[in-house]
Amino acid sequence: MNHPRVLYQMVRADFLERVRRYSFLLTLAFAAYLAWGAATGRVVLRLDEYRGVFNSAWLGSMMTMVGTMFISLVGFYIVKNAILRDEQTRVGRILASTPMSKIFYTLAKTLSNFAVLTLMIAVLAVTALFMQFTHAEDAHYHLGTLLAPFLWVGIPAMAVTAAVAVLFETLPVLRGGVGNVIYFFVWVGALAASDKKGIDDYAGLFVIAHSMQTALKKVNPAYNNDFALSIGDHTQVTKRFVWTGVDWTAAIIWHRMLWILIALAIAAVASLFFHRFDPARAWSFRRKKSPAAASTNGDAQATSPIAEGRPSAARLTPLLSEARENRFWQLVMSELRLMLQGQRWWWYAVALGLLIAGAASPTVAARSGVVTAAWLWPALVWSQMGARESRHATESLIFSSARTLNRQLPAVWVAGFIVATVTGGGYALRLLASADWHRLLAWFAGALFIPSLALALGTLSGTSKPFEAIYTVWWYLGPLNHAPGFDFIGSVTPVSRPFFYIVSSAILMTAAYFARRMRMAYA
Amino acid sequence: MQLVIDKVSKRYSGGNWALKGFTLELKPGVLGLLGPNGAGKTTLMSILATITRATEGRVTWNGSDLASHPDELRAVLGFLPQDFGVYPNLNAVEFLEYLAAVKGLDAATSRRRIDELLNLVNLADVRKRPLGGYSGGMKQRVGIAQALLNDPQLLIVDEPTAGLDPEERVRFRNLLSDLSGERIVILSTHIVSDVEATATDIALIAQGTLVAHASPEELLRRVEGKVWEWVLPSADLNTAKQKYLISNTSRRSDGVHARVLADAPPNGAQPVSPNLEDAYLFCLSHHRAGVAA
Repeated sequence: MNHPRVLYQMVRADFLERVRRYSFLLTLAFAAYLAWGAATGRVVLRLDEYRGVFNSAWLGSMMTMVGTMFISLVGFYIVKNAILRDEQTRVGRILASTPMSKIFYTLAKTLSNFAVLTLMIAVLAVTALFMQFTHAEDAHYHLGTLLAPFLWVGIPAMAVTAAVAVLFETLPVLRGGVGNVIYFFVWVGALAASDKKGIDDYAGLFVIAHSMQTALKKVNPAYNNDFALSIGDHTQVTKRFVWTGVDWTAAIIWHRMLWILIALAIAAVASLFFHRFDPARAWSFRRKKSPAAASTNGDAQATSPIAEGRPSAARLTPLLSEARENRFWQLVMSELRLMLQGQRWWWYAVALGLLIAGAASPTVAARSGVVTAAWLWPALVWSQMGARESRHATESLIFSSARTLNRQLPAVWVAGFIVATVTGGGYALRLLASADWHRLLAWFAGALFIPSLALALGTLSGTSKPFEAIYTVWWYLGPLNHAPGFDFIGSVTPVSRPFFYIVSSAILMTAAYFARRMRMAYA
Repeated sequence: MQLVIDKVSKRYSGGNWALKGFTLELKPGVLGLLGPNGAGKTTLMSILATITRATEGRVTWNGSDLASHPDELRAVLGFLPQDFGVYPNLNAVEFLEYLAAVKGLDAATSRRRIDELLNLVNLADVRKRPLGGYSGGMKQRVGIAQALLNDPQLLIVDEPTAGLDPEERVRFRNLLSDLSGERIVILSTHIVSDVEATATDIALIAQGTLVAHASPEELLRRVEGKVWEWVLPSADLNTAKQKYLISNTSRRSDGVHARVLADAPPNGAQPVSPNLEDAYLFCLSHHRAGVAA
């Protein structure tokens, strides 16, 4: 069973199943967007005020860095569903009944993830060649030089990303939304650590950056080692220099190949945690069984055998017409209960602590820091919005109910808004008490924006992952680092844009409405 | 109370027609919708449950077009899909309370109704257990309960007995019989015995078209005098299968007892009373012969 041909078939089947789904077009669209951004100068690699002449070495390396930077982040979220798909399609149960070993399975899933990610990198490689032709700054094409960074840097980075995605899927704590949020911080931490310590990071940025910096120092000894790969800002680039590429020594290649070995090791570690589609194990991680469930572990025993007199439908209480009225707030409360279902006592304790701290912190800065944390804490509660019906296959039950579009969807949004206002309520109360209307408006815009973003992404994608990934990045850039335009909390007045977020919320809600409408046969 | 399906067709992407010109008029009672796998039963159920749109034709509920006024039907619709999910962290009461709210029922009424329904489907003892720990049959019973939450006038159940043990299957059949008074019940299945026990009317569907719509008695009359029991040696069975339509066989000490559907009896065969399975196979066989011709 566990020989290369079987491995090949497993990887092939998984890969084909992915690439034949419409969602794969989005994956390629993302790679194409990155390529387009780089080709049109929207993604810029600069060293102080310099950039390299667009030769094979520079373009190959620049596109590799673009790929490893962004695909190692976004690609993780794209491929982190390989095991989940086998669960959802129930193919996993068939596989589990075969002699397939656990390590074989996690290795196959890693390779399948790797194939998808490599395909995205390949789009960038082709674009690099295209860019050299269209920009025509250097007419000498060196295919080996252009492809070498993809091979030695891009491939190992994708291997690690692929393996980490499998590891996260097998670890009970990380397989869900928590893992999606944590990965972002792992990713930021890994890049930051390599930047500070100058170590060979898995994304390979240091190898290329170090070579470029050394070359530029020879051209301009006053160069201060400033190095940036950024989106949108190309005004600072005023000079060019010639860089002929990384000298791929055996030591460098060995270090890069080490990452592939690390990826294989991660895949092996993942196999230790892989539940092999055992429903008992999968379930036990979510919630401990009740004693009754543990004792019977199967179908309920009939409490009243047929012979003892069967229950009759005639005993059902008829419903009066007033019992069928439109009770919107009852539905909101049901949605809220559903959203918070399964949260443990400590979740509420932390939320309450943040609520109190938001009100009690002595300074505006401290309070805004608390609300920043308070609005990350329920991220996984919001991420269910709009996606829950698809995730749990209850669409047919809910969409066949009356006025679903005009009742249930708004009720979900209101429930999400309530979560935002309550968790960030301490901060708002202080703003209200101090009549800080501008910040209060910004806070209100944030409370509108979060559930709107969650509902729109949930209904559009049918999964919670896009919100978990996008919201975490947005939260990091905006509320935490106050990047202009991204701070939806608006605690720092100069970068606060409440009206932008109010309008955005309206647009997102409209998008959610139409996305849901499209999923329903009849509105 | 009237549901009219008027020349309804459904084409999926790729040009595959799941239904073609399906016409049927329904009044209170239990309609058994019988057909082989892939006949178009689930597609028809989905259209009637407002889950998917018909490509052609129209469906009206009490004269109101489903395409323009789906909520008129949804308000009185109970639907048990063939394949549905539950929220694993909720228990049965919480899940039904949620769906009752989605259906617009008030809290007090829905609580009472949920209690009654959980007793009815025999889940009262495990009402507080998370649904994630339920077996397939138990989930199916939760599905049956949710379909009855709003006291539906139109109850659509698609393969409802799938996953139920024999005892629960009997219980469900009895339930359907009880419910059939002043409402339309559509029971879609390929299990003839389920229909035999409950249906007041039967619609046979094959290859997306209506093959027959009649009462069980009328269907049985169609095969009256065409069902034979034929005792033959085991070695001759394969030859007999090639020549005749055989609905059932059983091996006994004197040979194989084959139930043969034919206008004229095989040599030595004795006439027997037809059952619904005979009628079903006979109608399908005629339909296939007609299509082939």
